[in-house]
Amino acid sequence: MKNLCYILLILLLAAAAFAAGQDQTDEPDEIQAADQAPPADPNDPNNILLEKYDVVIKDPNDPNEILWAKWNAVVRVLQSKDMEKKVKESLIDRIVTPIFDFPLMAKLVLGRKHWPNFSPPQREKFTKLFTRKLKDSYREKISHYTDEKASVKPLRKKNTTVIIPMNLISQGKEIAIIYKLRKIGKTWKIYDVEIQGVSILLTYRSQFDDVLAGSSVEDLLERLEKPAAP
Amino acid sequence: MKSNLCLILIMALATMGCSAAKKNAADKTAPVVAENAPESSPDDEFGLLEDELDEQQIKISDPLRPFNKAMFNVNDKLYLWVIDPFARGCKRVVPEPARVSIRHFFNNIAAPARFVNCHLQGKHKAAGRELHRFAYNTTFGILGFSDPARTKLGLEPAEEDLGQTLAKYGAGTGIYIVLPVLGPSNARDAIGMIGDQFLNPVRYVRPRDVSIAISASRIANENTFRIGEYKSLKDASYDPYVAMRQAYLQYRDKKVKE
Repeated sequence: MKNLCYILLILLLAAAAFAAGQDQTDEPDEIQAADQAPPADPNDPNNILLEKYDVVIKDPNDPNEILWAKWNAVVRVLQSKDMEKKVKESLIDRIVTPIFDFPLMAKLVLGRKHWPNFSPPQREKFTKLFTRKLKDSYREKISHYTDEKASVKPLRKKNTTVIIPMNLISQGKEIAIIYKLRKIGKTWKIYDVEIQGVSILLTYRSQFDDVLAGSSVEDLLERLEKPAAP
Repeated sequence: MKSNLCLILIMALATMGCSAAKKNAADKTAPVVAENAPESSPDDEFGLLEDELDEQQIKISDPLRPFNKAMFNVNDKLYLWVIDPFARGCKRVVPEPARVSIRHFFNNIAAPARFVNCHLQGKHKAAGRELHRFAYNTTFGILGFSDPARTKLGLEPAEEDLGQTLAKYGAGTGIYIVLPVLGPSNARDAIGMIGDQFLNPVRYVRPRDVSIAISASRIANENTFRIGEYKSLKDASYDPYVAMRQAYLQYRDKKVKE
């Protein structure tokens, strides 16, 4: 009888370990997450929330609709009162991640001047760190949202990309935002955002140019790994 | 003596601005990379997007970097230790509608400068709109404390200043300067700011202390709307000095092009 108990216990532990291992392999790393939405697990409470707040985009060919639907989903999450901050943040992260092209942003921000000087592992590391920074900064910016009224204007086509202007009215002042999107497969993804004429990519590029003018790629990566100065 | 010194400084900056402008013009004739490749492969597309970004890139001339960086650090501390806590205090004490009214008031008395600059830039329609706004807001908006010209008539203000006017007449941005208290600027905009001061009614208030106090309250009030903005920019960047410089120059470039 005692032996049976032991066997059962061992089996249970093994099953638990196996499940945990599977969980880990299921967890995509950040670069992958940027490329594709994480697999849906119907029992994960986060996914139930995601289903409730995220939208099904009827026409993935229409960049205007993608942007507007996602924006409204984010606003709904921000305005809901019965969620903790952490839950909101992870939910917003999962709503917007699929429409940003983080790997392209990382490549463009270094540009043809610096990107070729990075070895493949360095590129991967840089993409990961830069993606983290962009996500952090987006999360921080969106947390300031109060009750701004937004309106999306018709898009403009430019070569293979489209530009979608959006206006926010905040406390009597107008803020002009421009989203730049590019078609990937069947859907559109954002690769740069301009706020009041200030491009995120160019602002980061000037900083990387500045660092790389005086030090090596490894120095830059080391610097990116450190958390922001207080 | 003091005014002479100022004059010399301005002239020096102006000449620097001109030389920088020439340099920018020369840079623009850089070779153009092949464009318009239909059905592009990923690499071509990368090149295309690269070209697009390069077009937007602004040449930066920052020979005063050590000075600017020191000034940036002074402003940084001034903001974090003095202006930000003060603005937070004001925000707690003064309700938002009152602060928005004060904002409208200061916006309204800056109308003469916008009006003149609109004319100087040949935007006579916008100038007319500014005049209309000023007359309407000063009367129906009760000395400009509210902005019925926008809410009732749909007249948007025309954000024009002397820096943009100078750009219109061909002045380059000149060197980048970080001004005490006022923050990032460049040779052209700094000169523009001095010029615009002559059209700022607050400047003519006497005694001088009162005039300065009014200007200070404008800055304080404006900052109650920007709490967190500066910290947000700093957090988002790896090198706040470089990020701020780039952001300022892009922001002004956009304003000039509009």
